Amino acid sequence: MYAVQTKGLVKQYKTKTAVSGLDLAVNEGEIYALLGVNGAGKTTTIRMLTCLSKPTAGECFVCGKNCVSEMSEVKKLTGISPQDTAVADNLTVEENLRFICGIYEFGKEKTKASVDEMIELFGLAEYKNFRAKTLSGGWKRKLSIAMALIGEPKVLFLDEPTLGLDVLARRELWSVVEKLRNRMTIVLTTHYMEEAEKLSDRIGIMINGVLKEEGTLSELEERTGEKGLENVFVKIAEKESVK
Amino acid sequence: MSKTIAFSGRNFKELVRDPLSYIFCLGFPLVMLVVMTLVNDSIPKETNMTIFRIDNLAGGIAVFGLTFVMLFVCLTVAKDRSGAFLMRLYSTPMKSGNFIAGYILPSLLLSLLQTVIAFAASLVISAITGIELNIGGLLLSVVVLIPTMIMLISLGLLFGTLFNEKAAPGLCSVVISLASFLGGIWFDVDATGGILADICNVLPFVHSVKAARLACALDFENILPHLLISSAYALGFTVLSIAVFRGKMKADLG
Repeated sequence: MYAVQTKGLVKQYKTKTAVSGLDLAVNEGEIYALLGVNGAGKTTTIRMLTCLSKPTAGECFVCGKNCVSEMSEVKKLTGISPQDTAVADNLTVEENLRFICGIYEFGKEKTKASVDEMIELFGLAEYKNFRAKTLSGGWKRKLSIAMALIGEPKVLFLDEPTLGLDVLARRELWSVVEKLRNRMTIVLTTHYMEEAEKLSDRIGIMINGVLKEEGTLSELEERTGEKGLENVFVKIAEKESVK
Repeated sequence: MSKTIAFSGRNFKELVRDPLSYIFCLGFPLVMLVVMTLVNDSIPKETNMTIFRIDNLAGGIAVFGLTFVMLFVCLTVAKDRSGAFLMRLYSTPMKSGNFIAGYILPSLLLSLLQTVIAFAASLVISAITGIELNIGGLLLSVVVLIPTMIMLISLGLLFGTLFNEKAAPGLCSVVISLASFLGGIWFDVDATGGILADICNVLPFVHSVKAARLACALDFENILPHLLISSAYALGFTVLSIAVFRGKMKADLG
């Protein structure tokens, strides 16, 4: 069973096809990077996999559960850190984490243990009593990911997790994602090639709503005859734009 | 239930931790209470004008204050919708009922607290001015104002759901102005007559104010019609806001 699977997934808006017949399979425990230029359909795909949008056609599954017909089950299996940092501004770091535990109906002891674990994992101890709105972009993003993680998802979706962060904050977040390796399946979208190279086990390149290439970095390099993910990506993207 | 409690807790904290909510929901009505009491003192006795006397003013100011809770509910909902926060919550096991109850319950608690504080201040003023206010009447007035609280919270939910952060407060200001001017807080609607009185009586605010005033005076005989009208408005706006929120949530997830 795949952790994430889509079969002929389509999302059509009025005049635009955001995702066009996407077939994707992500193995359990894998970190999978979804790359593509703006408007390639990465976020739309994640929205469908996290039950935030209904497919126009095709199917998508998380741990074998259908994202439309078994939505409640899927919501328990997934966590998402959206592109825009989604935290409650007037709540402290600790309160934000406790709030999510409440939504997942954790008991008192489990809440305490989970909050302590996230604070430890993300190095948030110093800031746990700070209101979210006073945090820097990097710390807010860490909190946002911790909030996605605290519900104990089997699959974590990180939509451009380091967008807009400075190089130090980005590196710190990478080390957090590294710590999560093998604990769960992670699907991340990014515009940073270095990020995908560093973190992912496999990479999928989406162009105009279609998965054009997929594989490990070395497989992609071999197929395109290019060295480095940036060159691989540019070659595939240019090939498609010529078409 | 746990989801609703968690979301209610978050919303209550968001509301009470915004310094502006103290200025508008508490400070402004209390200042108006004092200012209008001073105005009342300046009105010659022979005019027989009692609209600003504390026994009349208390109920009116309570309704006036509640309109600002509507504004802050509206801002909270609109802000949640404009950012990614509500989207994050949509991806969790929360259902539309958890969201709606989670917005309404803490706002109701805040409205109750605000009304109790306004009435406590009115009691102080009554002690200073020597105009008697009945504590039982004030407590009854708190209960009588519950439909008005629900109506205004529902309006806040409705505007916050339908409009963005910039447009929604503007619409709330219209309701605040309507409630203030056509609610009979600052003038005696019954003394005006004509089309103005007709408009005032069609709108719910004057009935909320009258019900609160009659409750303060322990005038049980005349409360019921006004209470029924404000309750009907509360029911109507609650049903409408729930339907609109559910519809919008469905559209967001389409």
